[in-house]
Formats: sequence, structure tokens, C-alpha cells
Amino acid sequence: MVRRAWIWAGLAGLLPGRVLAHASEGAFVLLLPTDAYIAGGVASVALTVLLIALIPEARARRLFLSWRLSAATRRRGQMVTSALSAALLLWAVSQGLTGTQDPVHNPLPLLVWSGMWLFLLAGQGVLGDLWGWLSPFRVTAALPGLFGVRPLLRYRPGWGYWPALASYLAFAAVLMVHIAPTDPDRLAWMVLGYWGGTLLGCLLFGPRWLLRGEGLTLLMRLFARLAPLRRQGGAWRLGLPGWDLERRAAPRLSLAVFMLLTLALGSFDGLNETFRWMGWIGMNPLEFTGRSAVVGPNLTGILLAGPLLVAVYGLSIQAGLVLIDAGGFRQSFRALAPAILPIAYAYHLAHYLPAALVEGQYLLNMVRHSLGLPEGTVTTGFFNRQASVRVIWLSQATAVVLGHVLAILMSHAAAIRLHGSHRRASLSQAPLALFMILYTLFGLWLLASPRGA
Amino acid sequence: MTETPSKTKTGLISPTRRGALKTLAAGTAAAATMPLWARYTSAQSAAPIKIGFGKHATGIGAAYGRWYERTSVAALAKINAEGGINGRPVELVTEDDGTDPRRAAEVLEKFANQSDCDVAFGTLFSHVVVGAAPRAGELKLPYFVVSEGHHVASGMLNRWTLQPGITDVKSQISAMAPFLTGTLGKKVTMIYPDYAFGYDHRDNLAPAIEAAGGEVVAKIAIPPTETSFTKYFPQIPRDTDVIYHVMIGPAVLTFVKEMGEFFGPSRPEIFGFIDSLEATDLTSPGLEFLEGTYFWEGNPRYLQADAPDYVKAYRDAVGLDENGASVSDPSDVSTSAHMFGCWETLHIIKAGMEAAGYQSTADRQKLVEAVEAMSMMEAGPAHPQGTKMFNGKTHQVFGPQYISKVEGGKLSVVKTVPYEETIYPDEVDYTSMSF
Repeated sequence: MVRRAWIWAGLAGLLPGRVLAHASEGAFVLLLPTDAYIAGGVASVALTVLLIALIPEARARRLFLSWRLSAATRRRGQMVTSALSAALLLWAVSQGLTGTQDPVHNPLPLLVWSGMWLFLLAGQGVLGDLWGWLSPFRVTAALPGLFGVRPLLRYRPGWGYWPALASYLAFAAVLMVHIAPTDPDRLAWMVLGYWGGTLLGCLLFGPRWLLRGEGLTLLMRLFARLAPLRRQGGAWRLGLPGWDLERRAAPRLSLAVFMLLTLALGSFDGLNETFRWMGWIGMNPLEFTGRSAVVGPNLTGILLAGPLLVAVYGLSIQAGLVLIDAGGFRQSFRALAPAILPIAYAYHLAHYLPAALVEGQYLLNMVRHSLGLPEGTVTTGFFNRQASVRVIWLSQATAVVLGHVLAILMSHAAAIRLHGSHRRASLSQAPLALFMILYTLFGLWLLASPRGA
Repeated sequence: MTETPSKTKTGLISPTRRGALKTLAAGTAAAATMPLWARYTSAQSAAPIKIGFGKHATGIGAAYGRWYERTSVAALAKINAEGGINGRPVELVTEDDGTDPRRAAEVLEKFANQSDCDVAFGTLFSHVVVGAAPRAGELKLPYFVVSEGHHVASGMLNRWTLQPGITDVKSQISAMAPFLTGTLGKKVTMIYPDYAFGYDHRDNLAPAIEAAGGEVVAKIAIPPTETSFTKYFPQIPRDTDVIYHVMIGPAVLTFVKEMGEFFGPSRPEIFGFIDSLEATDLTSPGLEFLEGTYFWEGNPRYLQADAPDYVKAYRDAVGLDENGASVSDPSDVSTSAHMFGCWETLHIIKAGMEAAGYQSTADRQKLVEAVEAMSMMEAGPAHPQGTKMFNGKTHQVFGPQYISKVEGGKLSVVKTVPYEETIYPDEVDYTSMSF
């Protein structure tokens, strides 16, 4: 006998062990004319491909120039804010171990999954490097130095960003595979483990470890480079989102792969909730039996998503080079990878928007509770109205489309630098542009699909 | 122990009526007049009674979990205001089971071994109950589920697992048959999802319909992943009087909309289970077609004109407006047909502990025996859903079932099936099993 009845298949799984999956939203989405919306979104991206090929070369080259706004004062106090953040995290960990085990009321899962993963990561791409101020790891990395401990080992340049990629994968495994990532006491140990690992890395290799070996910090920094307002060369500069990525040298191979992985894992995080995926793994989406039943498929998914995306991306790059009869695959592979970041960032925004609307209320209640104020009643009523569901869906779709449009612009600008001319850049970009158009379709399809986990 | 049921002319089983449990009301009135500090001082221990609440805080049951929590918190506030249990305050110890059977079993262990809970309570989804109940038996932890699954009464669980606060799906379905055939029509076409949940309806409804003089003329099973239904409607026989639908999942609004488009203005009678639309606003687009159709409700979502004061008090305590939505957001519709079970179960735990003279976890067995000894539960502040009869042998309660009609986008109760008409023969006697 199986428990019956629930129509909120929708959002469960958006966060690890998603809180408050009330997918009346899913039911309303199925009533929306999403086919038309998707067609419009895909057409917008396709049009961007055409337009960028048609605009004058000089203008295309200037797309990602930035304007100096004002002199930037030195950053002061980041170590203090980082120490405060570390203290907050320590307190949250203690709450995780001793406080209520209800994840919607315990500060640890609320701070880690909602505050950090959901909101802070989203803030990075718009507001810049908030993580630089709020990372508890910055002060951690400085600790050994404070006690006069010098790095025990030298970080070999050949290791690149591979350790960060490994730690990001471990993080993703907790997010998508672990059966109880929001359980406060288990999460407390996982946070301590990750934190301890980071401290160990910094003891061995110095603060450099944060840049090369710690996946979360790397991800945060990469998304921050999408922000339109950035500090560069002692000044605040404003430009098209992504300008700070465009001005940099091509990333190393390991960093390029990391960038691709951000999109691969974000995509799988959406795919694994759909009826289609459930069908593939033989799970009835109407009686999803919990995360413990899908550990194998989800682990396989996160391990395969990266290589699969790298392969498709690589093929697109190679096809473009064949079209213009050019070589330099490795250089192109690296130079064009940053253009994937806006898509990954857009996926994050779109994927977590509904969750943010609910989690934000719990987070706010946690703050109010800490301040001795009365807590509000959490509602999911906005998933219950056609009008609000339409606004939510279109906001998600807009993020996805804009992410792809920006990706097209960034990859074109990078291609001009690679191949010297506007025409050759356009031709070389045709396969990658096709890939991005299809990815827009995929992303919007994900949003419109019935979900069941 | 319950008394031997007797056969009735309908062929169903009816119990002999017993008086209400005296302990249900005992003491509460007197206690309520005392100041809070004084209410607990007469107890041998002033330490709180701990009720382990296995909450579907995450996973597919999360929306239910939120309302189960609200209802449980409201019930405990009432119980504590009335003097607690045996003079001791009561508190919820909440753990998230992730709507996952493996985690639910772990949660029971935490309740028993770490947080020293007196009982476990609150699980809804059947697969979670079925996965966790064996562990409750091993831990010898009284496990009060609010699941409405038939697994308790079917005999597949154990002496430590009880469902005294919500009726089971078998009694619900079979209780609908006389109304279907007597009021709506003899020829019934069933539309249900093609898996276990749908089969429960198929297998329980068809015999009941036939026993009531009707006929199931078609059984249309729809694959769980289907999101468009137009190709299935032509399978509905033309002579169908009543469509019985139990579609669930995100496609349910689409199902209703397409059914409305298929039939246009001339449609057969339509009967559904509110589970399809639990927590969904009936004025949602696509649902206009449901106007004039009927639903089973476990407990009326909308405040009925003749609702007694104790029903209003229950709804006020939980924070429901007249439409069964949150008083703080009229769009936030509750899981009304199920969550009352938490309120009632907590009151039964209180009554059981008081009947057993429960003092500590050493008295857990006495508690189970005391609940098994319960029978009648009269409608009132502790049982706002209605008068029920608990069967100690099968660990399952039988209660009233509501049939409501959609009128002006709201559900109005048109018939209440009393508990006596929902009873079926015992399938197990847990009291004959050892602890």
C-alpha cells in the first residue's frame, strides 16, 4: 500500500532534501503556454548569434570594455568579517549538533544551504565578491601564518586547479547524492570535515590552497567575475557582465574544466528531478521513495555529467576549428570556457528561485528568532496562484535566456581574439553557438518539465 | 481489548458501542483553571513528556509535513494549557525523515536511543511507515502513525505501531460506494494512475460498488508519467453514469481541464478523492469544470455552516480561515483532509498515557495496551473530525467520511458517512502478538 496523493511533485529536490516542495507550482507550470515561451527564448538566443555576426567588427571588439568609475580604496577589514563569519559558522555548527534537528528551524542548514549556497552564490554574480568578505576560510587560511607556521609543502604548478575540482565534486555529492544533507547534526560533521580539510590544505600549502584546492571559494570567485561592477587596478570599473573574465588570459586547462563542470553539475541538478530522468532510472515519479533510493543513479549522474559536457563542448570547439581550417584546439578549449560561466550562473538563479522564495522566509525567521522578534508564518501560497507561478517561471526563463545570450557574446569576443577577425570568429563559433542554442532549449525544457523528486 | 464485532445486515462489521474513554476528558477542565506552574507540580516528575515527531520536512511529503507540524504544535499548546499529560508538560522532538523510509528508521532510533523520547509520532507517507515500523518493533517504541494507509490494519506491521487518529484508505473507499450507486448512478468508470496507489482504489472500490448494486463498466489506468490525457477519454463508455477519478501528481490540473474540454456542458456525474487536490485552491484555473462534482474529504476543508464550536476551536488553533487556508495567507491552502489526524493522535496519546498511569519509558508497553483498550472516541475538542471507533485488535480507527460537492468554488458537505458504515472485517489481531 503506498501513500497516495500529492500534487506537489515539483520542487522537491531543489535543495538537498529540498524543503517545502509544494508543487502545485508544477501543476500550474503545466498549464502555462511554455512551448511558446520556450520558442521565444530559443529564438532570442539564435537571434543573438546572427546579430553578433552582423555588427561591425570594431563594435564587437569593444563589447567587453569597461569604464573607470572611481578610485577604489584598499580593502580593509576582510579578515575581521571573515573571522566574524567563522564565529557564526562555529555557532551554527554547535546548533547543528545540539539544537533542534528540524532543518527548517536549525540555523546550520539554513545558513549553509540557504544563506551561503542559495543566496550568497546568487549574489556573487551581480554584486561581486561578497564571499571575499564573508568566507570563513579566509581567516582559516591565515591562521597558520599567525602562529608563525610556514607552509610545509610547495604547491606544484602542475597540479593546477584539480584539487579544487575534486573538492567541488565532493560538495556536489553531498548536495545531490547524500541521503540527508540538511540533517543538522550530520551537516555539522560534514562542515567540520570540509573546514578541517581546508585548514589542512592551508597548513600544507599556505593560503594558496584556497585559490587552487578549495572548490567553493573558486566557484564563488568565478561567479563574482560576472558582476558588472568590479575592482581592477585600484579602480572601480563598470562593464557588460563578464568583462572581468574577458580581459583575462585564457584559463589553465584545469580551470577551464572546472568552469565546464559548474554547468554540468547545475544541469544534472535540474535533470534528476524530471519525469524523464525518473523514467530512465525506473523510478515512478508519483511515488518517489526518497533520496536513499537514488544514491546510485545520482552518483553516476554527477560523475558522468562532467565528462559528457566536456566531450560535447570539445567537439563543438573542434568542429569550429575545422570550419576555419585552423588548429590550436587546446588554446580554444581554454579560451572559450569562461563563456560557459554565465550559463551555469543563470542555471543557479533559475533553478533555485522557487526554493529561495520559501527558504528565504525560514532564514528570515531564524534572524527574527535570534533577535527575539516574533517569527512569521511561512507560506507557499505563491505556488498556488497562476499569476504568481507565471511570474516565477518567466523570471527563471529570462535568467536562462540572458545567461545564454551573454555566453554567445563572450565566446564571440574570445573567438575574435583567438582568430583575429570577426568573420573567422563567427564561422568558428557556429558549432558552439548551435550547442548554446540547444542548451537554451534544454534549460527551458527543464523548467517546463513535470518533476517528481 | 475491543469487544467482538457483530455482523450487520449490510454484510459489513459493526462494533458494539462502548462508552467513551473516561480519561479523555478527565482532569482537563480542573487543570485548566490552575496557573501553569501549579499544573505540573502534582506529577511525580516534572520533566516533559517527549514526543518524537518524524516530520516530512524535506522530500515529496514536505508540504504535508509543514501542516502536520502546525497542527501538532497547536495540539500540544492546547494539551499543555490544559495541564499536560499526567501533570507533566509535553514537548515535540522533531526530526526530518526526508520522506524516506531508510531515514525514518534512523529517526526512530534517534528518538529511542538519543533523545529519550517516550513515543514516536506523525509519519504520513505509506512507504515511510512500512520502512520504519519494523524498527519501532525492535526498539519497542510506541509508533503512532498518521498515514491513512491500510498497512496497519492489513496486519503487515507490528504490536508497537498504531493508527488511532486517522482512518485508513480501505474504509474510505468502500464507504463511498453506497453514495456513488445510490445517488450518482449505477455505472461507474474508474480513472486512476497505473501503480499501487491506483490499484488500491481499483481493488477496493469495484467489489464495494458491486455489493451496493452498481457496476464498474471501465477501469482506465493511466501511466504515472502521463501529462496529457485526451487520448484516454474516448475509452470512457458512453453509458457511464459516474466517473471516479483519483489522478494525482503535477498533471492533475491538466487532467481536469482536458476532461472538461472533452465533455463540454454535458458530462456524467464526477466523483474524486480530495487527495488529488489537497492543498490546491479550488478556484485555480482549469478547475472550473469541477463545479457541481463531488469529492471525498477526510475532514471538511471549508468551514461548514453547521460546524460545532469544537471544530471552530480546532481550526482557530491551527490557524485556518473559512476556506481552509492559512489565516496569514489565503493562498496557502492546508492539507485539511489529513492533518486533523495529528491533533487527534496527540490527544489519544495523552488519553492513553493517563489511562496507563504512564511515568517513564518503562511504561511504554502499558501505553500500547491502554490504547488497544480504547474503543469509542466521541466527537469533541479532542476529536474534531467526528466520532470514531478504535479497533484495538487491528490498531486502526474507523471514523466518519465526508462527501462534499463543489459549489461556487467551495466544498459543501452533502453527506457524512458515519463510522459504523466504514468498518470491514478484521484482517489481524495484533493483541495476540507478543511485545
